[in-house]
Amino acid sequence: MTARKTQARGWAMVRVGMSTLFSLRGLAKIYGEGEASVRALDGVDLDIVEGELMVLLGPSGSGKSTLLNILGGLDRASAGEVLFRGAPLTALDDRALTRFRREHVGFIFQFYNLIPSLTARENVELVAEIAADPLSAEEALDLVGLKARMDHFPAQLSGGEQQRVAVARALAKRPAVLLCDEPTGALDLQTGVRVLEALVEINQRYRSTTLIVTHNTDVARMGERVVRFRDGRIRSLEVNEKPAAPSELVW
Amino acid sequence: MRPRGLSSLDKKLLRDVWRMRLHALAVALVLGCGLAVFVMAVGMRGSLERTRADYYAERRMADLAVSLVRAPDRLIGRLAATPGVAAVETRIAGLALLDLDQIEEPASARLVSLPARGRPAVNDLTLARGRWPDPAHVEEVIVSHAFATALELQPGDTLRAVLHGRRQTLRIVGLANAPEFIFVAAPGELFPQPERFGVIWMGREALARAYDLDGAFNEAVVRLARGAHSAAVIDALDEILEPYGSGGVYGRDRMVSDRFLSEELRQLATMAAFLPTFFLLVAAFLVNIAMGRVIATERSNIGLLKAFGYGDVAVGWHYAKSALMFAAIGALIGSLAGVALGRWMADVYQDYYHFPRLDFVASPFTFAAAWTAAFLAAGLGALVSVWRAVRLAPAAALQPPRPAAFQRIEGPLADFAARLDAKSRIIVRRIVRFPRRAGTTVLGVALAMALLVVARTFPAVMDRLLDVHFNVANRQDVTLSFIEAREAGALHDVARLPGVVYAEPFRADGVVLRHAGREVQEAVIGVPAGARLNRLIGQSGGAIEPPAAGVFLARALAERLAAAPGDDIEIEQTSGRRVRARARVAGVIDPMVGSSAYMELSALARLMREPGRVSGAHAMLDPAHHRAFNRRLKETPAIVGASFLTLAERSMRRSFEEGVGYMNLIYAAFAAVMAGGVAFSAARITLAEQERDLATLRVLGFTRLEASYVLMGELMALALAAAPIGCILGMWLAMWLMELFQTDMYSFPFIHNPPGYAFAVAFTLACVLAAAFVVRRGVDRLDMVAVLKARD
Repeated sequence: MTARKTQARGWAMVRVGMSTLFSLRGLAKIYGEGEASVRALDGVDLDIVEGELMVLLGPSGSGKSTLLNILGGLDRASAGEVLFRGAPLTALDDRALTRFRREHVGFIFQFYNLIPSLTARENVELVAEIAADPLSAEEALDLVGLKARMDHFPAQLSGGEQQRVAVARALAKRPAVLLCDEPTGALDLQTGVRVLEALVEINQRYRSTTLIVTHNTDVARMGERVVRFRDGRIRSLEVNEKPAAPSELVW
Repeated sequence: MRPRGLSSLDKKLLRDVWRMRLHALAVALVLGCGLAVFVMAVGMRGSLERTRADYYAERRMADLAVSLVRAPDRLIGRLAATPGVAAVETRIAGLALLDLDQIEEPASARLVSLPARGRPAVNDLTLARGRWPDPAHVEEVIVSHAFATALELQPGDTLRAVLHGRRQTLRIVGLANAPEFIFVAAPGELFPQPERFGVIWMGREALARAYDLDGAFNEAVVRLARGAHSAAVIDALDEILEPYGSGGVYGRDRMVSDRFLSEELRQLATMAAFLPTFFLLVAAFLVNIAMGRVIATERSNIGLLKAFGYGDVAVGWHYAKSALMFAAIGALIGSLAGVALGRWMADVYQDYYHFPRLDFVASPFTFAAAWTAAFLAAGLGALVSVWRAVRLAPAAALQPPRPAAFQRIEGPLADFAARLDAKSRIIVRRIVRFPRRAGTTVLGVALAMALLVVARTFPAVMDRLLDVHFNVANRQDVTLSFIEAREAGALHDVARLPGVVYAEPFRADGVVLRHAGREVQEAVIGVPAGARLNRLIGQSGGAIEPPAAGVFLARALAERLAAAPGDDIEIEQTSGRRVRARARVAGVIDPMVGSSAYMELSALARLMREPGRVSGAHAMLDPAHHRAFNRRLKETPAIVGASFLTLAERSMRRSFEEGVGYMNLIYAAFAAVMAGGVAFSAARITLAEQERDLATLRVLGFTRLEASYVLMGELMALALAAAPIGCILGMWLAMWLMELFQTDMYSFPFIHNPPGYAFAVAFTLACVLAAAFVVRRGVDRLDMVAVLKARD
């Protein structure tokens, strides 16, 4: 039970004054029924601390994206419990989950998912319109270095620029947590690094908890803690005393 | 050889169609509606034509007919010997008032003599019940089947009739139909009132005695020999009959029954052409949007198929086949519904057209045409998309399509767009970015609206026509016709009838009008200046005075004569003294019912060289004295016809409601299907296209309602844009249809019907909203994760 041990070691790392953002106990997710069923998550226990930058690492199908979707309120667990700031997320109905996403979660996907009919600025404003205390679109885009290209439509931006708009959109609402699913999966090294730099800077400046899902072991080097997944279970949890800067990464 | 099952590609096709079953259903229903009307109208037309032709042949329907004052029986030989004449039947005919216990008002009947021996050689009867009269019993008669049915008369019952001023009791021995009386309406009436007017066939001897026509006849009906030249025979017969007060030999085009039937056939042809075209167009539009979507989502499959070595033609045909499957389902629905509608129509027709039997049978050609039209419409709709599939290079097809490039809105819309919130901006940008797609949706919705506008305009037009005809043009309660033109003093006799509050004379002369080498048989109506009851209708639909000099022509008549104000036309009486005169056209007027010529009463009497004589009177009655009036009327031998306007209005309304009304209801239902189909297709396509954006909105924390707003907002914006187009299009269509449906019996006024427009718009918007709501559930079911993980 190395996983348990390492997790226990990670547990100890929780810094004084830092509270737990997510607390997961016995979390399981089963797709399908009977013989055809697949255990995407199989008894996951994990605590995620406010402000940390955590990397979830694993091959495809290991359950890391499923976990991210459950944390973001896009999917529901089959068993177990998720507490968000002490409140059970698993008990929320669809309407409440929508409000949870609206108020607390910023998503970043592999394929950006910008609205093609809105400019970069408008894509960010879209979120600002429904948030309680948002950053202005200009500020958010400035943070990701795209102030000059604010009025471009997605089709006029490169992949890396589109992903940075997605980052700006996610952070504009000042979310409690940024959930990034393979944020560099569709990007080359150089543009990928710029996106990761933006994520790190935001994490440091606003101390918003950042979860990055990746299958790329190099990217994992930038996490303060790295959780390795395999077959729906946590295989190890490592604490990274000196997280690498994105500029040091190579893949 | 191993039997070959479905190819893999065909299995894919079936699954694709199944996946799109709701689209397929929308297309099939719209096509089905159009084809149902087509099968019904073309099939009904064929059935009516065939039934009429068979009936005419079997009962030897006359090709020519003539009315005379009095011609001696010895002429029969000469008539029969005229080259081109196959058979001739001379007879005595007249009108009689009937005194029936079943109804308070006097009914009237057309009397027709039966030959002394044997059956009529021309215009034979089909006995429905009873037997033929015994020549030895002069009081025995046969009555028309519809009349007997309406009044519940049976063989054995008796009738009291006033024949040429003499009261007689007649005994019914049989009920019959005849080819010359398939449609029966009293003279001067446009609608059948089977309980008020019928046909009575009786022994020649009895009629000859009543009409003082011993050894003579006043009507002849002729059947032409095969290949005979009708105009030459008419000339020859006219020459023989000229000295006997002949009104001129005429063909079937002037026989009332045949003319009405021909009009009906013409209207069915119009219907068969107009409505189905409309539905086929919309179906093509629906196929177009559905197939456009298929090709867009199948892009990579097209690339794969081509990469595997399927040729362009095979790929194109594969996708074309799914459109053709939609068409086949629609054609099947249309064929079945068309037959059901046709059978129902045949039942309705039997109330108006008295065939011994009328069955709806659509010919194989009708079905073949319907199916061909369905395939053509679907093929047309699929053309662009299939072409796109054919043209797609395999390498390009395997790449994801480039994201749509949007642009800022420039020009006057820019300010407007700047003030919108982001969600509304998505709607506006999408519409501006894909104008052709937005345009097709707008057009489809507008077409559905237009059809509803047409459907709602018809009843309004009918109301207006009835209102003008009965409340502006004819304000009398009853119109009385004298046996022959009488001195103006006869008006006083009418005025003295119990219950008559006010009476007004009129004159009606059957004439032939000639101008510019054209000839039309019509009536000239004499209207007194300052008339209060029966008035002429001007262009505005209001009452106008008769011309001080000259003659007014109804618009349809003026067109047939190619006559304009200022032209001189020739007028020749077709009865009596056959006076020939010339008159100047003083104006063209727009009566909605009938298309006669009109003169000032005394001017007409002078023109016909009968100064001071009138043909009858219109009267206003005191409702309290109806019963006394009717009793006296039945005892007044000088009056041969009485037309009660309330009864006429009732029968006209009933006829409009039953014929036009039911049909209109069906059209409204079809229009609703069209509106629903268009709305649903548009909504589905919009959802499919916006799926990714909507999922993104949901992930970002927008509620279902907020995400739905983008979907529904776009649909409603397009539907609203369609509203004015739909109204204008509907108005044009209605105007054009009114022109098409115009006959020499009616001219339908086009009128604006604002409640109709409002209904069309509201109903269509409701359909779009309902479709959007149904589709909106798709937003609820969006699998956010799956949608977002997929590439565009």
